[in-house]
Amino acid sequence: MKIAVDAMGGDHAPKAIVEGVLRARDATEFRDTTFILFGDEAQIKPLISDGHGIEIRHTTEVITGEDEPVRSVRRKKQASMVLAAQAVKDHEADAFFSCGNTGAVLACGIFVVGRIKGIERPGLMPTMPTITNDAGFNLLDAGANASNKPEHLHEYAKMGAFYAEDVRGVQNPKIGLLNNGTEYDKGDDVHKATYQLLKDDPDLNFVGNVEATTILQGSADVVVTDGFTGNAVLKTIEGTAGAMMTLLKDNLMHSGTKVKIGAALSKQAFKGVKAKFDTSRYGGAVLLGCNAPVVKSHGASDNRAVYYAMLQIHEMVRKDTVTKFKDYFAK
Amino acid sequence: MTEQEIFDKVAVILEDRFDLDKDKVTKTLDFKKDLEADSIDIVEFVIELEDTFGGEIPDEDAEGIQTVGDAVDYIKEHMVAKD
Repeated sequence: MKIAVDAMGGDHAPKAIVEGVLRARDATEFRDTTFILFGDEAQIKPLISDGHGIEIRHTTEVITGEDEPVRSVRRKKQASMVLAAQAVKDHEADAFFSCGNTGAVLACGIFVVGRIKGIERPGLMPTMPTITNDAGFNLLDAGANASNKPEHLHEYAKMGAFYAEDVRGVQNPKIGLLNNGTEYDKGDDVHKATYQLLKDDPDLNFVGNVEATTILQGSADVVVTDGFTGNAVLKTIEGTAGAMMTLLKDNLMHSGTKVKIGAALSKQAFKGVKAKFDTSRYGGAVLLGCNAPVVKSHGASDNRAVYYAMLQIHEMVRKDTVTKFKDYFAK
Repeated sequence: MTEQEIFDKVAVILEDRFDLDKDKVTKTLDFKKDLEADSIDIVEFVIELEDTFGGEIPDEDAEGIQTVGDAVDYIKEHMVAKD
């Protein structure tokens, strides 16, 4: 197995990327894996003392966070991200990973790695935490598309169900359609039409519309939504969780000795909350619908997040999840 | 490469990409109006033209390619050696 890694993408690149890859390389699951690191050799090489299982491909360009996604992918042909994606297109590697510019990663997935025939629009799918159990839930599309048709959302439901069952081991995953109410006739025309498509698909365990207030409680294993709404919901969850933690910390630290003692005694509970919302352990967001696994992790990822993304990719390649998509959608 | 040869290659790309019957591909076929192609479809098509015929199509030129005839004319003028 070979994983093509954009070593220059992300806030802490190449250090965090290389450290995460080395951690994976040293784990027993990855004995069969070679990591191809695309990036500036002069920066990458000093970070690696033992080079087994690692190949470095020197690249001379980087796509930055400020670059316009599609244009940069089309024009910066020597960029680490583009060459890593190209290696997958050329069947030199089995999967593509980057923590870089999200739009450019999506463009690399769609335009370089390419779409699966039969999938109109790939969707970006993170795994999010649920408070009721450790399984989490999948949300897609979390922002690969600015607008979607009902047929796209139907594709997301099918791909999300496949992924949840195949990679996360969820039996007969519950599929929910994110909407502004649970009644069947809620939403705009796209959501009403999508409801019918999902309801009429015998392959899906469709549980109906779900509201944003219940998704963290596990109302569905796969939450299907259009890219615009999905992105807003994803960022609302991230922003709210971050704001709550800051607010809590501020109040605990500035409310006198008694409260501080209470906080110290409650430390274990706070750790539990932090662990629950640690999404790194689920890996990165997958661009589902591409010809090979395309995984994007947060720009601020540390080596631990990179390691978990490697585990996720390894599982997708080992289980040949993308080939299963291809066979299914070729029907 | 003759104009007909260019047209035939473009037609194969479109038939595959948009699931079209061969007789549906004419020079007046409009990507947005007739095929409901969005920006992603157009970029994918332009990249495939670049891969097939070699060379690059700048974004400002790509915006002017709206029909099959536009694509064939552009390729004839800019991307392949003239016979």
